[in-house]
Amino acid sequence: MIEKIGIFLCECGPNIASKVDIDKIAADISALEDFKDKELVVKRHKLLCSVEGKKYLEDEIKSNNLTHLVCAACSPRDHDATFIGVCKKTQLNPYLYTIVNIREQCAWVTPDKAEATQKAVRLIHSGMNRVLYQEELFEKQLESNPDVLIIGAGIAGVQAALNLASKERTVYLIDRASELGGKTTRLHGLMTEQGSSLNMISQKIAKLSKNPFIKVFKSTILESIIGFQGNFEIVLKDLNNNETYEFMAGAVIIATGYDLLNAKKTDCFNFTEEHDVRSGIEIEALMSAQKRVLKKNGKAPLSVGIIHCAGREKVGYCSKICCNYLIKISGYLRTMYPEIPIIHYVRDLCLPTKDSQSHYKDAVSEKIEFQYVKNLSVTGESVKFTDNYGKTGTGDHDLIIYANAVIPSPGSAELAKLLNVDLDEFGFVKEAHLKINPVSSSGDGIFAIGAAHGPADVADSIIQAKAAAAKISTQLIPGQKIIPEIRVAEVLEAYCTGCQTCLKICKYGAIYFDEAKAVSVVNEAVCRGCGNCVGSCPSGSIRSKNFTNPQLFQEVKEAVR
Amino acid sequence: MDKQTPQGVKLGPKEKQKEIIISMFKKAIASEVIDTVLLPMKVPSGDSYAWILIKDKSFLDKAEPFAPIMPINAAHAIKRLTRKGKAQYKTAVLIRPCEIRATVELVKLNQVCLDDVLLMTYDCIGAVPMDDFIKNPEIKEKEFASFQASGEFNSACMKAVCGFCTDFNRTSSDIHLSLSDRGIFISSNSCKGDEFIKNSRLTPDEDLSDWTKKLEIIESVRETKRKQVFAQTAGETDGIVNFHKIFESCIGCHNCGSVCPICYCRQCFFNSSVNEQNSDLKIIRAEQKGALSFPNDKIMFHIGRLTHMSLSCVSCGLCSEACPVNIPVANVFSYVAAQTQTAFDYKAGKSTGDALPMRDYRSEELGELGELVKSVDKQEGLNA
Repeated sequence: MIEKIGIFLCECGPNIASKVDIDKIAADISALEDFKDKELVVKRHKLLCSVEGKKYLEDEIKSNNLTHLVCAACSPRDHDATFIGVCKKTQLNPYLYTIVNIREQCAWVTPDKAEATQKAVRLIHSGMNRVLYQEELFEKQLESNPDVLIIGAGIAGVQAALNLASKERTVYLIDRASELGGKTTRLHGLMTEQGSSLNMISQKIAKLSKNPFIKVFKSTILESIIGFQGNFEIVLKDLNNNETYEFMAGAVIIATGYDLLNAKKTDCFNFTEEHDVRSGIEIEALMSAQKRVLKKNGKAPLSVGIIHCAGREKVGYCSKICCNYLIKISGYLRTMYPEIPIIHYVRDLCLPTKDSQSHYKDAVSEKIEFQYVKNLSVTGESVKFTDNYGKTGTGDHDLIIYANAVIPSPGSAELAKLLNVDLDEFGFVKEAHLKINPVSSSGDGIFAIGAAHGPADVADSIIQAKAAAAKISTQLIPGQKIIPEIRVAEVLEAYCTGCQTCLKICKYGAIYFDEAKAVSVVNEAVCRGCGNCVGSCPSGSIRSKNFTNPQLFQEVKEAVR
Repeated sequence: MDKQTPQGVKLGPKEKQKEIIISMFKKAIASEVIDTVLLPMKVPSGDSYAWILIKDKSFLDKAEPFAPIMPINAAHAIKRLTRKGKAQYKTAVLIRPCEIRATVELVKLNQVCLDDVLLMTYDCIGAVPMDDFIKNPEIKEKEFASFQASGEFNSACMKAVCGFCTDFNRTSSDIHLSLSDRGIFISSNSCKGDEFIKNSRLTPDEDLSDWTKKLEIIESVRETKRKQVFAQTAGETDGIVNFHKIFESCIGCHNCGSVCPICYCRQCFFNSSVNEQNSDLKIIRAEQKGALSFPNDKIMFHIGRLTHMSLSCVSCGLCSEACPVNIPVANVFSYVAAQTQTAFDYKAGKSTGDALPMRDYRSEELGELGELVKSVDKQEGLNA
């Protein structure tokens, strides 16, 4: 059979067309000596990735009965998947197609038109050499488990569980604490609803217990996890009796919440247990328990100083939630004590939510003062500060309330290691992409919501929980199979010496060692085809499908001629 | 290598070294301290030696603990024994220091499992070149035996690499046998060695520092020789033209790779189909160069091997032995290995605990790369 290679030159609007001579490329390609015995179909198009362009390409592949396809267009990062999608609608196996990047590699970087044109011809020639050595590959389908593991039963975890659990999807909700609800149960009131936070979380927890598709594990931690999206093998461990529980799940949500920085670790505080210096969360607890804020000696405070941003410099970010809750607390105090001085010491006021501004205005109208400071130090209950104009001042109070920085929950690093997900510079779970994929982690099928990936209030946590639930609902549809990447690595058993270098190199844990045969084996469902193992194998016994040595050699042969 | 003052136990006088060692193994097997022994034995035709795994202790009498030649690096034999897991029987091996080092490298490459293996070595006077030995086995055997008996460490009759080997005594073994002027002493280098000595009901009580000092003198003589050889090799191989010259008589038999204990690949890249090219490429290269010699990857093979294994090269010299056209392969490889190993602050065979440089990822190395990339960008004015 004579190979019939289609070469489609995309103009990319003016991006490529204005910088290279497309007609000359077409002519040069058609006249290539070493392709004389092959049939070539060389065509140009204004924008191959457009709806019209894709239809055109599809029709051309079908009508010409092409055996191979080269698209000379943009970076494979942009449209490799687009053209593979087009091939799938035709008789042509998608892996007998290759993309050549004449936009980023020619049009955008080579100013001289003649030079760029010549370079494009050589790159396309390389691609044509390569495509002849490519092999047909066939996609596989894998069973996918729709169940979800949620780590952390705070407001975020509970909300996500309620949204996800259904007849077809079991949710496993675990928490290392012996009670559900997390930090939210410690709050007295909420900013927006002005209702009781305990009520809200209690209602949600009550709903949980009525839902037969949510399995709750208290005092339980994640012991081990292996696998990939749709097929995680999970082992939980009960902290009380060390018993383990094994099951399969398709996705994992990290909802481990936050911790608060110890104020004594920040350099501006100097106090002991006897002083009336309390964190915001302690005040919340007092309010919940006694409905009042009193000093440690049981008397009413006569003057209250409220310190913002304890530890902000130390951790290096704004904790976002604190200004709001300190204003909320000063509201409680004003209701209780209508006449006493209440002074906020503020470096930068952060009022992020829609209601913040009106709460702030209410506070000001209720004679709650806001003293802007540049630096301050707190010794016992007295405050010394320098304002933004360099003027110094003092404030003598008998109760200090401070907001300390939100930091990652203890054990976050160990959990991240177990799950193989990246953390950001502060130790929170790093988002896959802050704007495109804000509730996903760096690992496929592993999500992070609420304060696990940065300071978040109750409202944020609920929104993120619902977002992750929506994402999982569309990615892990019960009954639907998943199609893993097929351009993966494979170990040639006969050549493998069993040195296990690849096991150390693979970031995805996709390679395991077959002890009986003493060879490495690639788990094709986990492999992402990055090729690191191929490069690292000392005996050259791993090959990457669609990136084989002969293919690369054929490609490079022309490029370096 | 542990050069602290060792404590040893005297096994007997120096003159009867072969008998003493064999009787030691016999006792060890009888008291079930070990189950099997891997030792060299003369082949029936009498002109070579092979590695024999001995279970029946009556065979021990036929063994030659100190063989005059080294036809196969013992690391190869240990690999064949344990590549698919531990030896199951407690096996003692008495091998040369360079063979110990090769074994240690293979442990790191997961080709050898030492779980049930006791590594024993001795102060090695060197090995007779195969070529010389085969011409007159009887005479060479006697000559070697007399050197071994008198402790002649600077004989010119040994292999070239032996002449400049500085790691010929205490190395990363479990048990070391000092063949000193005062007699044969056994001492331990590891926990496994301690256990063997304890189970053999021996108590190390004699100080061996006098013998260690003597070995140091020999070492310094070897070091001077080593520098000379390396200086000469540097002159002979400097630059691609000279490198070509030294390997131009290579016939591409790949024997050097086959006998190399470190070349552990099942299929050498240079023998694989991946390395085969279409004739059009040969013609392109012939056009570029004017003419092309065949087979045309002779030099690539040696450069490839240096890239692949020089970090683990233990200078056992078998490559030179195996070369049918007498290229001083081992000199070149030792010389290059000394430099690559120094570059990574690594010494092949020193310890199973040292990570192989190419498998040891250190994040600060990426930092250097990052700095390098930055500086290049700056030079080219790309840093916006």
